[in-house]
Amino acid sequence: MNKLRGFWIRFLGFFAGRRVEEEFNAELAAHLALAIEDGEHAGLTPEEARRRALVQLGGAEQTRQAHREQRTLPWFETFCQDVRFGLRTMANSPGFTAVAVLTLAVGIGANSAVFSVAEAALLRSWPARDPGRIVRLVSRTPQGESVNLSYADYRDLAAQSHSFDEVLVCDRRGKDLNVDGGTLAVLDDVVSRNYFSVLGREPRVGRNFSAAANGSPEVIVSETLWRRAFHADPSLVGRQVVLTRRAYTVIGIAPPGFRGLQRGIPTDLWLPVDAESSPAELADRKFRGFEMLGRLRNGVTLEQAQVELATIAARLAASYPEADKAQTIGLISERARLREAMVPTLLLMATVGLVLLICCANVAGMLLARAEKRRKEMAMRLALGAGRLRLVRQLLTESLLLAFAASALGLLLAFGILRLQPALMPPAQFELGLDLRLDPAALAFTTAVSLFAVLVFGLVPAIQSARTGVLPALKADEQTGRRLLRRFTLRDALVVAEIALSTVLLTVTGLLLRSLMASQRMNLGFDSHRRLYFFDLAPGIAGYDLTRSAQFLREAETRIAATPGVVHAAIARRVLLSDSGGGSNLRVSIPGLELPQEQQSVPIKLNAVDEGYFATVGTRILEGRAFNGADTAASTRVAAISETMARRYWPGQSAIGHEIEAAGKDSWQIVAVVEDAKINNIHEGPEPYIYFPFAQSPTVWGTLIVETTGGSAAMTARLRQEIQALDPNVPIEVRNMDYLMEQAFWSERMSAGFASVVSALGLLLGAIGLYVVVAAVVSRRSREIGIRMALGAARRDVLRMVLFRGLRLGVVGALIGILPSLAVARQMASMIYGVSRYDPLTYAGSALFIAVVALAATWLPARRAASLDPMESLRAE
Amino acid sequence: MGGKSDVWQGTLALMVLRTLKTMGAQHGYGIARRIEQTSGEALELNYGTIYPALLKLEQEGFIRSRWGTSDNNRRAKYYELTRAGERQLRKSAEEWRKTQEIVARFLAPAGES
Repeated sequence: MNKLRGFWIRFLGFFAGRRVEEEFNAELAAHLALAIEDGEHAGLTPEEARRRALVQLGGAEQTRQAHREQRTLPWFETFCQDVRFGLRTMANSPGFTAVAVLTLAVGIGANSAVFSVAEAALLRSWPARDPGRIVRLVSRTPQGESVNLSYADYRDLAAQSHSFDEVLVCDRRGKDLNVDGGTLAVLDDVVSRNYFSVLGREPRVGRNFSAAANGSPEVIVSETLWRRAFHADPSLVGRQVVLTRRAYTVIGIAPPGFRGLQRGIPTDLWLPVDAESSPAELADRKFRGFEMLGRLRNGVTLEQAQVELATIAARLAASYPEADKAQTIGLISERARLREAMVPTLLLMATVGLVLLICCANVAGMLLARAEKRRKEMAMRLALGAGRLRLVRQLLTESLLLAFAASALGLLLAFGILRLQPALMPPAQFELGLDLRLDPAALAFTTAVSLFAVLVFGLVPAIQSARTGVLPALKADEQTGRRLLRRFTLRDALVVAEIALSTVLLTVTGLLLRSLMASQRMNLGFDSHRRLYFFDLAPGIAGYDLTRSAQFLREAETRIAATPGVVHAAIARRVLLSDSGGGSNLRVSIPGLELPQEQQSVPIKLNAVDEGYFATVGTRILEGRAFNGADTAASTRVAAISETMARRYWPGQSAIGHEIEAAGKDSWQIVAVVEDAKINNIHEGPEPYIYFPFAQSPTVWGTLIVETTGGSAAMTARLRQEIQALDPNVPIEVRNMDYLMEQAFWSERMSAGFASVVSALGLLLGAIGLYVVVAAVVSRRSREIGIRMALGAARRDVLRMVLFRGLRLGVVGALIGILPSLAVARQMASMIYGVSRYDPLTYAGSALFIAVVALAATWLPARRAASLDPMESLRAE
Repeated sequence: MGGKSDVWQGTLALMVLRTLKTMGAQHGYGIARRIEQTSGEALELNYGTIYPALLKLEQEGFIRSRWGTSDNNRRAKYYELTRAGERQLRKSAEEWRKTQEIVARFLAPAGES
């Protein structure tokens, strides 16, 4: 306690100023006067008394010094001196400072940003209290593992198992929220009433779901939605909101930062399952639509729970053979799932960590180069009695200042990078993304990273400077310097490594870009250049039955087709390459075709489209006829199949006129074979696909596809109005072809974009590193260059000599980089399409690019060397 | 500051506190002279070292100071014990005695153990 008090007084003493000093002088004077008086009393002469008093004191100046040291914190004072000196040094060479700070800021900023991503994705995202005990129940059937189970099974599992405190269910859906006179698409989780209590979270305002309110339509709103749609109005709790034409009472607002269980796709609101689904629906064991998570009881291990679940699953299978026959229940700890998600994030962190190391290497190189220049200064200080440790301390303080400035800038940069998130997310109708922010953890990380950087880039140059021999340095002995020049130094090695790394990055980027270009040229099976708009209509939500819904869609199509500016209009159940493009499978059997044992049918994806569809999207009909108005619910059932399906099941003959059957119930006659189209994503292989006439397989939802002559917001609004004029209650979502394409190419664009940024960064850093090395060589060899020129070397020769030195490093780096490039390209095989991973153009291109950059980085110092005045460089020193 | 002078400073602080306890308010010169006298002139004290020690004790709140006038009408800075100082004196005196006992046992004539 008293020690701490002492520390603070001493710390404040630093700011006390002159008054304290004067007071002590007065005290000392009084002391001497008293001592002299005593001496005189003892019979000494005044002079002798004074002498003895001073001897007894141990010297006035020494006492003052000792007092001063006790008054403040000497190390702190020294530190302040060092900071002042460091700031002066920085200000004296603004170019050096700017490059060093910027370089470090890039490294630190990138690391902070990625750390925030990792934190949001890994550390913070698990929204539950004590997440280690949360496990996910999965259904395992011969078809594979699925996270979805039926509600009826959930009820039995929850009731019969003793391994869990509680088990929750959750199902992600979508709704339209009426707000401010419009509608907003929101994502809701339909959950069991114990959802929040299993996760151990409490609403921030209002109350939790309670079992007592069973069946009543209640909703808990996410904090984000509360801010976004309700302007953070605290009176929202207790009010009613309308979700897809049904009124719900808001009973609470979720805790801040709680975004549901799906990483990156935040939940907007939570609805209790008992109010959402009919008892019949919940009793249907074949409807596997719910995710299940449980909290393990204390003391129960995963294995024990697993054993118990196996028994229960066996019992279920015996009791309900129709639905649960082949199903077993597995357990996955959320921690294990998290660990899987960690790999890409850690990879990302490793990448930016590497970038930081390169940044540090560059700055270390710059400091080493400057240390060369400051050898004399250091030697002079040593000669004047500065301790070596003191010099190291001072140089480290300078590094610390650089790191501090860089951290501040880096944080700004990180903030900017995080702000980019919305632009980098895949296009979607809902708000996506992680909850990124620079919180104390991120700041702590940045600080740690900066201190680490200081150690890496600052310590070696500092120690090396302080090791300077006094005499040789003062004599400006060039011998030592020249010896350093000849051999391949550590700095050269760093630069070569940087360039090798840049080569790898550049090659990878090249391959990704070439692959992206190849993908964009690919035939998608429809015309992606048309101006197509997709209006997703859901008459079912507005209460239409099948007949009225079909009528509605037909009317909407007719109205739209008659609108000026519209070329084609068509209706489809699903839109290709969109979220729902895959659709469900139909188990199809083909009469006369032998399928492998145990499989009477094959699952084939399907779509239902009307007669205008193929013409509207531009899918070519290879054989047979398009659907037409005569294909109605009453006429013969017909189908169009994909090229691949025709070739696979009717090889060497025409498929037209053959029949397909589904589950022995229905049969369809094939009337057309159409070209293969991409169904879910652009990189899947062609597969069998079936189109039915929409009139024969109607649904209470559908997409109206419209081709227009000119695309504009006004046009979209106009078309939307036309549809709304029919019935304003039918929800409409609009997308266009650009949106679909953006979504389809998103991951490729992202990886190419990310690789481009990182490789540009790597290249820039490599160039700076090369520049620094060559510039340092030129400045150290200026004397030698002067002599050469005085002896008749032409400027051209000097230029060539220096350029050669830089280029040599560049070429060595590029050559070394090729081998790892090949290895990395091998690892990336799954990300590269339509281009060989040994694509010679890419490799040659990146090598050439490296050479050009190396030349550019060397050009400036080479020019400086060539323009040296021989007389001046000889006279210097 | 080496380890030796730390110990020295510790003991010096104890001597200062003890002196102030006996004498009441006193100036730096007076304290130094008194310590020297009490030690029976066995201790050769650089009077200057008393000042950092006094400052440290004051920073830690064990003594306080004010300007006053001496017997022969000189202005001087007087130091006196605070309540925390009294406590500290008791505590360090006790500690010192214990240390002394332990060391004394180690230095006791051989053969006893």
